[in-house]
Amino acid sequence: MRWIWIDKFVEFESGKRAAAIKNVSLAEEHLHDHFPGYPVMPQSLMIEAMAQTSGILVGEARHFQEKVILAKITKAVFHALARPGDQLRLEAEIENLTEEAAAINGTIRCGEKVIGEISLMFSHIDKNLAGMEFPEENFVFNEQFMSLLQFYLEDPESSVQSS
Amino acid sequence: MKFILLDKVLSIEVGRRIEAVKALSLAEEYLGDHFPSFPVLPGVLMIEGLLQTAAMLVRVTNDFRQSMIVLQEARNVKYKSFVKPGSLVRMEVQAKNIEEQSSSFFGASYVGDEPMVEGRLKLRHYNLAEENPKWSSVDARIIREMKQRAQLLGAC
Amino acid sequence: MAISREEICIKVRETLVDALGVDDDEVTDEATLMGDLGAESIDFLDIVFRLEKAFGIKIPREELFPPENLLNDAHYVENGKLTAEGLTKLKAQMPHVDFTEFSRDPDLNKLPDLFRVKSICDYIDSNVNAA
Repeated sequence: MRWIWIDKFVEFESGKRAAAIKNVSLAEEHLHDHFPGYPVMPQSLMIEAMAQTSGILVGEARHFQEKVILAKITKAVFHALARPGDQLRLEAEIENLTEEAAAINGTIRCGEKVIGEISLMFSHIDKNLAGMEFPEENFVFNEQFMSLLQFYLEDPESSVQSS
Repeated sequence: MKFILLDKVLSIEVGRRIEAVKALSLAEEYLGDHFPSFPVLPGVLMIEGLLQTAAMLVRVTNDFRQSMIVLQEARNVKYKSFVKPGSLVRMEVQAKNIEEQSSSFFGASYVGDEPMVEGRLKLRHYNLAEENPKWSSVDARIIREMKQRAQLLGAC
Repeated sequence: MAISREEICIKVRETLVDALGVDDDEVTDEATLMGDLGAESIDFLDIVFRLEKAFGIKIPREELFPPENLLNDAHYVENGKLTAEGLTKLKAQMPHVDFTEFSRDPDLNKLPDLFRVKSICDYIDSNVNAA
């Protein structure tokens, strides 16, 4: 299983908001345990999809200089399940961004329906978590995540809002 | 990856609390991406661990009457540290209440004495047959597997 | 525009319920933020963000919550207690908090008890309704 929970960006307004897509497919192994005979996308992974969408948005707003780590799930509420064949749209908006932390609000839609609402806070860990050991280089924004944004920015069909 | 985020139940008090362990191993594939130079248990899998532990308490308390147990709401989940491979994560979940169709909990995970995460969770539970009777065989299958898993984990 | 003390308290309570995921009835005036309500560093930031939005004011974090840089500074802390210098600095940073009791025995372990829901209401009141 690859730890990447969004498939592509479809909107990106630097410093403000972003939207990404996640397709749910029977080809994803973990679905077959959750649950056997009735696969649904685990809510925890929907939270991760939102964290990745908004984490890249927050990271990009500060030119990927910070290591942006999920610090708090203020609230995550789910109204319906996501099933194989569904295409989820994750929309994230920056509520607050400072040197130390960021707060975002997000919505997950399946078609017209809002199936989840998530509020998260990220910490910029070089400024916090004193005394804890972690690598010097920005291990958060590795090639995998950066390529998601790269694909979006290079796609002639996407509407790019410059920073 | 097998989507099972607890490995053993240490103790269980029906209707009240449950304690379980998740052993984190470098053999778990997703660690290769999270992160390549700094493998740590993803925060949402810590939550999934607490949620699966809570769900196990619900299943045993409600006598495996419901097949589907999913997260309705998570609140004020705070991450305090990183869990590295080779660690044993102890998950302690206390029930605020467990009804037929819903339950709520306070959960916290530790490695040794060090807290890793804590938060409040609300679950909802139901059978697929409630929506459509043709799904009752699927309910039965899920329940059967969960009973086996509960036995394997030492929950009952 | 002046806001009544009561309105302030209602908004502050709502903010704490949203930020800390606690129940309404847990947020009493005397409830301690760290002890009773479980607030931590990341929560302080969350609370400050929300209060700034709710009341349209700027809130320097160290005016409302335990100043971590002060507490980690050897000048201001000795043997788990605040020095006279530390106490003076703390009082200056947080004029809305009553340090009388604490001053008698400035034990760091007792510091969290000073931060109560009431102190946030006091802070907002004095800032929003400043003449």
